[in-house]
Amino acid sequence: MTLATGVGADFLRALLQGTPPGTVYALVALGFVLTYKTSGVFNLAFGAQAYVSAAMYYKAHTEWGWSIIPALVLSVFVLAPAIGLTLERLVFRYLRTGTSVAKLVVTIGISLALPNIFELITNFKGVVGRTPAGIVPNGAGVFYDPFGVYPFSRDELTTIGVAVFAMLCLAALFRFSAIGLQMRAVVESPRMTELNGIRSDRVSAVSWALSSTFAGLAGVLIAPRFNTLAAPDFFNLVVVAIAAAILGRLVSLPRALAGGLGLGMVISLLGTFLPRWVQSNPWLRPFQENLTPAVPFVVLFGVLVLWPAIRRSREVSDPLSGVDPPISSLALATRSARSHLIARVVTVGALGTVAAIVYFRADASWMFLVTQAVIMATIYLSVTMITGLAGQISLCQGTFAAIGGFGVYQLATLHGMSVLVAAPIAAVIAAAVGAVLSLPVLRLGGIWTAVATLAFAFFFDAVAIKFSWVGGGNTSLMQGTRVPRPVLGPWDFADDRAFLVLAVVVFIIVSIVVVQIRGGTIGRTLRAIRGSEVAAQSIGISPARARVVAFAVSAAIAALGGALLSIHQKNVNYGSNFSPVSSLFWLVLVVSLGSRTIEGAALAGAAYSIFDPLILRGTIFGWILRSPDRVPGIFPISPKWRLILFGLGTLQFARHPEGAVEYWRSRTARSLAARQRSAPGTPEAPDAPNESDAPNGAVTS
Amino acid sequence: MTALLEARGIRKSFAGVMALHFVDIDVDAGETVGLIGPNGAGKTTFFNCVLGILRSDSGVVRFDGRDISGLRVHERARCGIGRTFQRIELFAESTVREHLLIAERTRQGTGSLWKDLLGMGRPHRDEIARCDEVLELLGLGAVAEAPIEHLSLGQGRLVEVGRALMTDPKLLLLDEPSSGLDRKETADLAATLRKVQAEKGFAILLVEHDVEFVAGFTERSYVLDFGTMIAQGRTREVLRDPIVREAYLGVPATEGT
Repeated sequence: MTLATGVGADFLRALLQGTPPGTVYALVALGFVLTYKTSGVFNLAFGAQAYVSAAMYYKAHTEWGWSIIPALVLSVFVLAPAIGLTLERLVFRYLRTGTSVAKLVVTIGISLALPNIFELITNFKGVVGRTPAGIVPNGAGVFYDPFGVYPFSRDELTTIGVAVFAMLCLAALFRFSAIGLQMRAVVESPRMTELNGIRSDRVSAVSWALSSTFAGLAGVLIAPRFNTLAAPDFFNLVVVAIAAAILGRLVSLPRALAGGLGLGMVISLLGTFLPRWVQSNPWLRPFQENLTPAVPFVVLFGVLVLWPAIRRSREVSDPLSGVDPPISSLALATRSARSHLIARVVTVGALGTVAAIVYFRADASWMFLVTQAVIMATIYLSVTMITGLAGQISLCQGTFAAIGGFGVYQLATLHGMSVLVAAPIAAVIAAAVGAVLSLPVLRLGGIWTAVATLAFAFFFDAVAIKFSWVGGGNTSLMQGTRVPRPVLGPWDFADDRAFLVLAVVVFIIVSIVVVQIRGGTIGRTLRAIRGSEVAAQSIGISPARARVVAFAVSAAIAALGGALLSIHQKNVNYGSNFSPVSSLFWLVLVVSLGSRTIEGAALAGAAYSIFDPLILRGTIFGWILRSPDRVPGIFPISPKWRLILFGLGTLQFARHPEGAVEYWRSRTARSLAARQRSAPGTPEAPDAPNESDAPNGAVTS
Repeated sequence: MTALLEARGIRKSFAGVMALHFVDIDVDAGETVGLIGPNGAGKTTFFNCVLGILRSDSGVVRFDGRDISGLRVHERARCGIGRTFQRIELFAESTVREHLLIAERTRQGTGSLWKDLLGMGRPHRDEIARCDEVLELLGLGAVAEAPIEHLSLGQGRLVEVGRALMTDPKLLLLDEPSSGLDRKETADLAATLRKVQAEKGFAILLVEHDVEFVAGFTERSYVLDFGTMIAQGRTREVLRDPIVREAYLGVPATEGT
């Protein structure tokens, strides 16, 4: 055992220890690259697919008591490919013409919907405090030590073996079968292979099934490494896989494999050696405690930002462009000033009525929910800013909101400042962070911006909040991140009613800010860039500068909303409010309902906090029927439906990226226009738009 | 006197293939110059090197007496280089006038976040008047309010010209303006361009395929073939040059794509 004491032996041990997770990462990365290359889908739902298989295996093996083989066959070889095929057939096949960003948003929606659909169907409750079983009996209890440095558990050895076998199968398939050859061809160039008479949709179906199987296998293999079984852990898994896949530049399967294996080993090496460095340099401790889980995010972020090849491979960067049919400007053109005014008055009147009812009649819980809805709507205006106006997908809005929340916590609770002063300061801090972050990130464009912001969100989640000057450190562990309610002159905002008024006022102010920016220089500059970046540059617009402003403003809005939310709940509640996964849900909500308009943000806020109690619990039926006893027996509906509905709402986004609000509006406008045209005595508009006009395509392509 | 645009010794290769081989091009203030050559001759590459979309491997671009080789795309545009695109590039969901308004606002450089927040970012009356003046000049007055999705290709090109004009360019680079247009539309475009040029006095560098258009429109021309300058001089004489005829006008033996 002399070998096991030196630094070299430690190194070797760390490498061996990193191999089992490394092979799983490689497996996921391979599956990820496979779908990206054959169907252009940057599949963030990959983790959800892995989770579903892992949960199915747990359900069948542990709960139903099936033996290992049938449980494995059901979860990995039946369910997983079925999910892959379903996604391809029912979803992505119809999104061929969509931009890669639209598809990315759809996969985010699916990653939220899929686990909930599964849990609803199978009545699976998730597992807490119990390590899921592996695919060999007594996998965690038997150890083998082939090199005399690191004892592999039976599970770990199985993991390595199965993963390597799966990869060999893939290699063999690629090498020896016709469909494999076709897949390789499609990976090289989908269009060329179509021209050669290969149906690339069949190839894409097969590769979806295959990659989904890989996801399922990876899920089942990795599950024993967690001591819970919950969907968010698996979302982290997919982020790791993206890091590995990007190391392979998203094209090369062997490099993705090497990237996954390498990441597993690097994480393990850091886990071994970082503590020793820390002994000589205590300042490194927060990093030591948190760097290991954050390695994939750091790698991902670093590679994206520093690797010029990624930047050059940018595609259409606007989620709202390149869709068919082209977005019509008819909604604005054909709406008369009068109908516009009427709509305004009706909307304001309805909102005023609701506000009055809530203000005078609502009980504490409804007051809480409505206030929360208003605050969430404020936060969602930040998405309106960055996605609706600047055309970029940001997946770290939750992080900016958290900066707002922690900002008021730090300034108000720890430094005795009034929260009313602290909140704007926190917003300024977030704006600065946003501006600095945007410099490298927004240059990437399109899906890469989305992925880089996702990496940032996870980095913040894993590392930054552990610093005492961010998350409060030990103080917050002992006392929680409490935030006081403010008092301003005669108003004491500890009163929920007064606070609701404050929230509404802030929402209105922020709405005005967004509307002013939209109609002003910045908004029109951003619209120009969104329309055509090269053309915008050709008249002297600096896209980088405009986007920095947009990102900073968006971050400030999110932080202001986050601060307000924390003040409302009298606590930051980071985990339940601002985690990276919540950022995903926010984005999904806003883009489904409309990222262009204030109404879209307001609706999304309502959907976030009132949809569940109002609709799913059947309260609204109780009101309509005048008695809660006569509410149909199907209520309450599971709150999981919220995630499912809005997750699948992204499909609507992919086809009509202007969102449900705008879509509905332009449809009514169009039918109005059609009615006017068919009415006798009304002359046809001279410039009646013609869908088949040739320049239409030329202009929007 | 130095020329308005001086490109000296521009060299650019892609993965070992020489796209531009020490190309020199001058454009004087107010003149109209053609740059012609068969497909793949390096015209667009040259264009992109002048505009800063590509960085040349070596060589210098001077504009208005200033070395602009190190500037970025939008900075070069602000020096006074306007352009149009071969495949039309307009801002989706904007009206014709809005295209010019944003160019005008960018030229003034007066927009800021604070002004937007205070509600001072919306178009001013004098800005609208300036835009409408250019729109009238281009004959686009009737469609000022129309969304660009409703325009014909020829009108779209004119919108690009108008947008470029709002930046007060000293030099307008036209990238194959006749592509996609029929004979009559091309003639109309040429007439409009000439009229506007007479009024505003900017120089034009025209990259073009359509020999007839170039012959009728430019005084001087440069001819590129495989990245090398094979002829330059008065357009009519250049087009009569046997080397040019062989390279470009298609002596059957050398006909390519």
